Amino acid sequence: MLRKNRKTGRLKIADWRVSSLLFLLLLTGLAACNGRESAWPRIQQEGVLRVGLDPTYPPFEVDTGGELSGLDVDLAQAMGADLGLDVAFSYFGYDGLYDALATEQVDVLLSALVIDPARREDFAYSEPYFNAGQILIVRQGETAVTSMTDLANRTLAVELGAQSHVEALEWSRKLAGLTVQPYTTPEEALTAVLQGEADAALVDGINGRLFLRDNPGLTYTANPVTVEPYALVVRIEDSELLDHLNDSLARLQSSGELDAIIAKWLGE
Amino acid sequence: MTRPAYKSGLRLFTLALILTFLRPAPLLVTPGPPQTVVTQHPILGTHTRLTDEVEEWKIKRSLELVREMGAPWIVEFFPWAYYAAEDGSYAWGHPDMVVAHAAAQGLQVVARLGLTPEWARPPDTPLTYLDESAYDDFAAYAAAFADRYRGRVSAVIVGNEPNLSYEWGYRPTSPADYVALLKEVYTAVKAANPDMQVLAGALAPTLEPEGSPWGLNDLAYLQGMYDAGAAGYFDGLAVHAYGLTFPPEAEPGPDILNFRRVELVRQVMVDNSDADKDIYITETGWNDHPRWTLAVRPAQRIQYTLDALQYAETHWPFVKMVAIWAFRFPAPQKSYMDYYTLVTPEFVKKPIYEALQEYAQEK
Repeated sequence: MLRKNRKTGRLKIADWRVSSLLFLLLLTGLAACNGRESAWPRIQQEGVLRVGLDPTYPPFEVDTGGELSGLDVDLAQAMGADLGLDVAFSYFGYDGLYDALATEQVDVLLSALVIDPARREDFAYSEPYFNAGQILIVRQGETAVTSMTDLANRTLAVELGAQSHVEALEWSRKLAGLTVQPYTTPEEALTAVLQGEADAALVDGINGRLFLRDNPGLTYTANPVTVEPYALVVRIEDSELLDHLNDSLARLQSSGELDAIIAKWLGE
Repeated sequence: MTRPAYKSGLRLFTLALILTFLRPAPLLVTPGPPQTVVTQHPILGTHTRLTDEVEEWKIKRSLELVREMGAPWIVEFFPWAYYAAEDGSYAWGHPDMVVAHAAAQGLQVVARLGLTPEWARPPDTPLTYLDESAYDDFAAYAAAFADRYRGRVSAVIVGNEPNLSYEWGYRPTSPADYVALLKEVYTAVKAANPDMQVLAGALAPTLEPEGSPWGLNDLAYLQGMYDAGAAGYFDGLAVHAYGLTFPPEAEPGPDILNFRRVELVRQVMVDNSDADKDIYITETGWNDHPRWTLAVRPAQRIQYTLDALQYAETHWPFVKMVAIWAFRFPAPQKSYMDYYTLVTPEFVKKPIYEALQEYAQEK
């Protein structure tokens, strides 16, 4: 179909249109060839959203004596209610979650999973619903430290060997006089701030918020230091389901219900 | 008016020429002058992952960091499937690069050999599938490797975790079949380079019983190897010794997987009158993934790793090397595997690296 103009050697515009159309048809055909149908019509028909999770990660999901609870569990229930669906949970090991989704044992994963760009060929992620990245925690009323750049000539507490420790060491190469003080646990690092041994602590968003929930003398700065976004995961062909999940998340966000669920498990 | 076609072509040629000269020259990386590993603990090693590392400067930088950490040993994977063609020729470019840089840094190399090329296995079989029809081909590769890297590679490991079905081409594991392979490889390697140490294994710690589709208990498998006549066909035994959630001093037991399971492996060797051979721990370590059920806290990981090295040095004179899995991956794995490493893909040293470096210099 691609003919060259014998005089100019250039392809005719009309021919390009035809070839572009063919290319699009080819892409559509390839997409259809994966042999899978969208899960959304079946979910609507059955009225059940099948959610996969690994119930060993409190406070996001944990099974205590047969009773499942956690932030992700509440979020799934809230989204189910918003979409007019019942929610059926299935348990998998952490390393088996994506396989369970790929083999259509569940419709969606909601299990504190971080968006992984390398998996985007086979899976699609929702908008993030929580950032578990590193946060900077200071004493209530602290005004001199509002970000990492304010930590020159100050002491920063971290959990020994944790990702926050690596991050802090990187900052110490850029900030003059920043002392990185490691502690055995995140709780000890945060206690050091509470007791005035350190000016701030850098910890992950989960441990940090859990500690703050029970220790009102501390607070965290406005902007997270790193980003580790948790999202729902669906199979790549389930774009219709993903649209509905994203719409539902947006409604829960604007109604304040998402923040209420997060606050329930991690504090305000 | 139509522009003559040759003028357009000339412009394109000129542009390409300019771009060629504007492009920066490729980075020249050389092994550099010979270095020496300074360490008080020559047992320390680490399993590098340079097989899929493309850029030479990253290979060099990785091995520099290993030396600077004070580890005189590396374990590295040299897949048969990557380098060997059916006509018997080999593409040695990448392994040459890795071995040259390791030698320049003063590192001893233990080479893990494995993965079967497509031409040497039946259709639709995985890379880990190797049956007796290709044992001689694999032995030829191992011999060529041993000959080529004479004096620069200390030992070769024949395969990897053959007591796991996954590593045995998704077939039932068979100590007798593995020993048949070991015999061919050992004979060929020794003929090519008598100084090359041939290591059997590396056995994976597992409790799988006889008949399990997943694998076979490492202790039973090793006994099966001796029953099949393995003793005369390996110089040392490679073992994987993961601590999982246990501290390194935790008592071993036949139904427990922990660091000191090495002692049970050793007992099988002693029971088979093979106590003179060394054990090489080619993978060990603890994991500090925040949610993997077999992980520990980061501080525990550091302490357990240091304690494990000290324990091995103090109590296990039969252990030649303890290699920590894994030094660094070329790219993030986005799984719990990232939490085994000592250095990030961007070459940021983790605190465990610094702790090991400090340990290596302490008497």
